[in-house]
Amino acid sequence: MYLTMYERIEELVQDAEKSGKAISELVIEHEVQTSGMSREDVWNKMKHNLETMRAAVERGEKGVKSMTGLTGGQAVKIKAYREQGHTLSGDIMMQAVQNAVATNEVNAAMGVICATPTAGSSGTLPGVLFMLEKRLKMNEEQMVRFLFTAGGFGMIIANNAGIAGASGGCQAEVGSASGMGAAAAVEAAGGSPRQSATAMAFAISNLLGLVCDPIAGLVEVPCVNRNAVGSANALVAADMALAGCTSIIPPDEVISAMDKVGRNLPRELRETGLGGLAGTPTGQAIRMKIFGKEMD
Amino acid sequence: MAGNYRSVFDIIGPIMIGPSSSHTAGAVAIGKAGRTIFNGQPKRVVVHYYESFAQTHQGHGTDYAIAAGIMNFPADDDRVPIARQLAKEAGIDIRFVEEAGPSPIGHPNTAVLNLSDGQQQVEVAACSVGGGVIEVRQIKLYDLTIKPTGPLPIILYPVKTTDERREIKGLQLTEFLRMHAPFKQNVVVENQAWRIFEFDLINYLHAGTKKHLLGNYPGIICI
Repeated sequence: MYLTMYERIEELVQDAEKSGKAISELVIEHEVQTSGMSREDVWNKMKHNLETMRAAVERGEKGVKSMTGLTGGQAVKIKAYREQGHTLSGDIMMQAVQNAVATNEVNAAMGVICATPTAGSSGTLPGVLFMLEKRLKMNEEQMVRFLFTAGGFGMIIANNAGIAGASGGCQAEVGSASGMGAAAAVEAAGGSPRQSATAMAFAISNLLGLVCDPIAGLVEVPCVNRNAVGSANALVAADMALAGCTSIIPPDEVISAMDKVGRNLPRELRETGLGGLAGTPTGQAIRMKIFGKEMD
Repeated sequence: MAGNYRSVFDIIGPIMIGPSSSHTAGAVAIGKAGRTIFNGQPKRVVVHYYESFAQTHQGHGTDYAIAAGIMNFPADDDRVPIARQLAKEAGIDIRFVEEAGPSPIGHPNTAVLNLSDGQQQVEVAACSVGGGVIEVRQIKLYDLTIKPTGPLPIILYPVKTTDERREIKGLQLTEFLRMHAPFKQNVVVENQAWRIFEFDLINYLHAGTKKHLLGNYPGIICI
């Protein structure tokens, strides 16, 4: 009999509880069996993704600019601001925000990134991960495992609700990324598989209904800042789950709620560049300036 | 559950040039699927965009991404942003049309590719479902219309109706796939000249299995 993917979060959590294995381990074993690749190859492929993510964070914090000039340079400002030592939400939080913004600025500038799960939401996971690297003194093995755990949760979200802004709004992109990051952060901090699932449920619940309204249809504004919120939200959700808070709505039902909300979003709010911030007078004026035409 | 995402690397990945996984990396994958089904390099490609693709292809670099796929470049190749120019230099004429109507395959990120070289004409209707993953929902090949469920991988095996061993070949392939690459749908379409066996696989093809298929079933197409 061949192995197929996990269909439900509950199935994944129960498997982890029964076997006593970490979720990252189950995801690695699953990948090795379904892909036919060796464990070493699967591991190294993820390690390469990690290296790509690190390179994007480092490039962004040095300062990039997109072709339109709409985004770029915020990560540099946040870094300088942190160095003054007066952040309101704490240096740890703003470190995550800086990493998230840096990555998405590189993406907007057509640089190389690793989609996690999408390019528009590619800052959220590195935002959390490279902060935790310092906070929890994670080694490379733990960081690679973080990505397998995040990916395992992401597969279930993607297969049950989707991860495209054009289909499900930004909740499906940054919301999914935030849920994946929250779940993986819990495992990295030594929490249980069930707490990981709870953290995912919190993170997605908090961003439910988030619309996809990029100005001029470009993955720039408000995408870059939304990734900052995606990372911050993941950390809050992970902390709450680690504190023992529980989700009234089971994680799988949260995912199907996201799917239904996405289907109910009007097309103006699903990556068409028509509604939300894109539809504001300023948003439309920027579109005119860049492409010389208004949206119908 | 659609079940499009079969690998953890569909979620953590692909490594790509920004800015949009569905409009850029997914578009590279659509171009590549077109090239694979065409089974070589076309001379002329007309790309019809629908819905979100029609509205935002300019801002997302979808045009050069599809050109990159047709040129067989990976999504993180430095040449992706200049692929339109490179395609032109390689003698491929690529045109883009924004269609006003709804997607013929029911997805906001839809591109329909018409590929030709003067002799062969192929149509591929695909959509980008998020994170660089695509579905191919309709294929017109040898004047036959095939409607796969959508998620990749998809296998097409065209055999000439004049081939006396066509039955055996189809059975052999079906048995082989049952053992090594299980499928959830298996359809056969036929006209006077061609019979095409189509399979929607459950998991991604192992490298060794793909090699075996390409080596033993001439003309087979693995998307």
